[in-house]
Amino acid sequence: MAMYIRVKRNKTTYFVQCDPTETILDIKQKLCSLIDQPVNDQRLILRATGEVLEDSKTLADQKVENDAVVALTLRKDGSEFEDVNIEPPNDSFYSREDGSPSR
Amino acid sequence: MTKEEMVTLISAEGFEFVIDKKAAMVSQTIRNMLTSPGSFAESREGKVTFPEISTTILEKICQYFYWSLQYASGKETEFHIEPELTLELMMAANYLHT
Repeated sequence: MAMYIRVKRNKTTYFVQCDPTETILDIKQKLCSLIDQPVNDQRLILRATGEVLEDSKTLADQKVENDAVVALTLRKDGSEFEDVNIEPPNDSFYSREDGSPSR
Repeated sequence: MTKEEMVTLISAEGFEFVIDKKAAMVSQTIRNMLTSPGSFAESREGKVTFPEISTTILEKICQYFYWSLQYASGKETEFHIEPELTLELMMAANYLHT
């Protein structure tokens, strides 16, 4: 396994194994089999930069590295994409503003 | 990466971590839960709840599982642990036989 990314939405985190040469579309297809949401209704946003990731580009192209946190937002019934929503852990360790453990 | 190859670990606060079974089985405890014939509901549904492990710790444990697989395949990096997590992480690791 070359690398993995953490795809987060609400209270759920998906650990997705991948390779730097895979495209965002490849990642979305993997997610599709897990969450039953078509590729077109998924949007992935790199947490560190807030950049919306483009289907045709690879992970390496867009500087998505091992252990990166990527936000998943969905589009329901052909309307707009929902806003990014990642719930903070809400436990005794949680004190950081961005909700991701520091590296 | 199909649903059957994944398992969901649920923290004390109800947060879910969907990880590869292969990664989860780095833990001997989870391996037993998932592989013992018929005795655990966990092996049928692919969901394991840890009421005593908080979200931050459980996420760190999942990261460790993947780090461990990477390390085993020859990618030797360091696994960083924040000092404030150390105690609870050790207790969880002890429970999980990790």
